[in-house]
Amino acid sequence: MFEVFLKEIKELLRDRKTLMFIVALPLLIFPVIFAVVGYMMAMANLEAEQEVHKVYIIGAEAAPEFTESVKYHKNFELVTANYANKNDIIQAIQNEELDVGIVIEAKAQPESREQTTWQVIYNDSARINYLFIYIEELKEQYQSKVQTLSFNALGVTKESEMEFLISPIKLEKVDTADARESWGEKIGVLLPYLLIPIVLTGAVYPAIDLGAGEKERGTLETLLLTPISRTNIVLGKFLTVLSASLATASLSILSMGLWLFVARTFVNVSEFTVALSHITFVELLAMLSLLIPLAAMFSSIVLSISIYARTFKEAQNYMGPLSMLVFIPVMISVMPNMELTYKTAFIPVTNVALAIKELLKGTSEIGILAVIVGSSILLAVGLLAFCVRWFNQEKVLFR
Amino acid sequence: MISVNGLKKKFKLTKDHKKGITEAQQDPREEKDYFHSVRDVHFHCEQGEVLGLLGPNGAGKTTTLRMLSTALKPDEGSIEVGGVDLVKKPLAGRKAIGFLSGSTGLYGRLTAKENVEYFAKLHGMKGAELKQRCDELFTLLDMHSFLDKRADNLSTGMKQKTNIARAVVHRPKVVILDEPTTGLDIMTTQTVINFIKGLKEQGTPVVFSTHHLDEVALLCDRVTVIDQGLTCFDGTLAAFKEQGHSEELNQAFMNILEGHRHV
Ligand SMILES: Nc1ncnc2c1ncn2[C@@H]1O[C@H](COP(=O)(O)OP(=O)(O)OP(=O)(O)O)[C@@H](O)[C@H]1O
Ligand SMILES: [Mg+2]
Repeated sequence: MFEVFLKEIKELLRDRKTLMFIVALPLLIFPVIFAVVGYMMAMANLEAEQEVHKVYIIGAEAAPEFTESVKYHKNFELVTANYANKNDIIQAIQNEELDVGIVIEAKAQPESREQTTWQVIYNDSARINYLFIYIEELKEQYQSKVQTLSFNALGVTKESEMEFLISPIKLEKVDTADARESWGEKIGVLLPYLLIPIVLTGAVYPAIDLGAGEKERGTLETLLLTPISRTNIVLGKFLTVLSASLATASLSILSMGLWLFVARTFVNVSEFTVALSHITFVELLAMLSLLIPLAAMFSSIVLSISIYARTFKEAQNYMGPLSMLVFIPVMISVMPNMELTYKTAFIPVTNVALAIKELLKGTSEIGILAVIVGSSILLAVGLLAFCVRWFNQEKVLFR
Repeated sequence: MISVNGLKKKFKLTKDHKKGITEAQQDPREEKDYFHSVRDVHFHCEQGEVLGLLGPNGAGKTTTLRMLSTALKPDEGSIEVGGVDLVKKPLAGRKAIGFLSGSTGLYGRLTAKENVEYFAKLHGMKGAELKQRCDELFTLLDMHSFLDKRADNLSTGMKQKTNIARAVVHRPKVVILDEPTTGLDIMTTQTVINFIKGLKEQGTPVVFSTHHLDEVALLCDRVTVIDQGLTCFDGTLAAFKEQGHSEELNQAFMNILEGHRHV
């Protein structure tokens, strides 16, 4: 078995194409992704900052000072039109004549001493949008003026007293994990989409070479005629594929850690890198130990497929759908309400995706992780047993 | 030395296989879901003899030789090599057998030397014994000039030499060759023929399948003809000519097949 393993590794290391997939892909994918995402975010930010929104205010006369401040804001342009009500504005926004409409209730006079509601009508699509933030800022400014006036009228003039009356108790939040959790949630959705297929890719190419490749080159028959048992042959091959897959997985995680570090050192811009820099070495290690049984599962599956196939091409045809299939459990993991529990910890692949997210968020539990690793190992052993039995069948080897 | 009796092997027909068979070509080897590739094959070959296995395409030669080499397990029948029952003790048989077929390849990213050494190691050889045996073969086959080249970069002739070395590195008691010269040029064919002659001189029995009857004339002591999975002739070369009513081997072969099919 060891002899087979050593020889396969030697041959694998001499294959440039496979090495590309095992080494280059994980090393390069993260900087590329970081760069692309960073660039796109910066561009979107810039665009959002420079954008000038067309705004119309109904009931402007109720709050002239506020209207004034909107008029002189660099991101707003007051349009002259004659919209009578909310529906007119919605219509205008849909026709793209307008970006935002503000409906101020007529009773909104500071003297009336009544809370009023202003409606801000705009299309809040998912892209970065500072529009509401700007309006909120202007409202805050106006509101504090109104408050001061009202307090003065009541005879309250000291600033500290005003603050007390507005909000007698102030809560101070001191929590760095918070930023991490929210970013972990976002990145945690993305990362399994990368890592899990990478683990599979790391296994696929060597497996094709070691299974179908051996048939196509006509070396399988001679290998079967050596006194090594078929079980040992397939175990040797399995170990090779597993090593390749693990090399890919650890390189990916290493590369991710490295590039996060680089990002933190050199481009100290986004809070995202700061948040993620709290990820500890132990957590990266935990991620790797989740990926090991996963890699073993994938290795057994792709090796079984590859042994069955008669040629490289046939094997590749089978692998195509497989790499699509692997996205399904990852997709399940990002479905709403999917959380890592002792139940979901038993769903193969999905559980690993969920656990990676928890690890990124820094909210993982050792118990659940153990369940995931345990159940994955059991499944991996089962699949390996299948692979070994499969390799011992004539109808698989001589088709 | 080698004795094969009542060998049978059937394959389950898959959809692909079924598609290939049209209704018109009724084949006696078809039976419901099974295809009886080898129905009753027998032959024997003694020390120092070379046996030529003949038969039209699809006759079952490769299947027979695969059973002989323990890659496939026969459904019925017995195979004995040097007193060892290969059906019962395939592992022992593998040590006794050297196998090479026309479609046998090499590991492209290993050098010629590494290819041979790998198989030596798989056969449990190591250290000085391994080195000595490899050197002996490299000299015998004149391989020293390309030992350190990767198999991918070797010429067909060099590849075949490497393959031969690989097949006999463990000093097999018998050698089995499946169409060893198919697709080879004259020079390379000669290498194979010389190799078989060398084995014969050493007294190692050789069984080889071929479609080239001139090779049979040159090398064989015995001939076995298989048709549709049945042995239809097994005997000496002289008996072959006699039963085929011709000194010319091609003609004799055709006559024997003709006779068999009309019975
Ligand atoms: N694994 C298999 N599954 C199904 N049928 C098979 C299998 N292997 C061989 N056969 C069938 O058995 C028959 C004999 O095949 P075999 O390869 O032994 O013939 P052969 O005498 O070597 O022919 P050739 O001269 O073309 O090499 C063929 O009809 C083939 O289609
Ligand atoms: Mg054949």
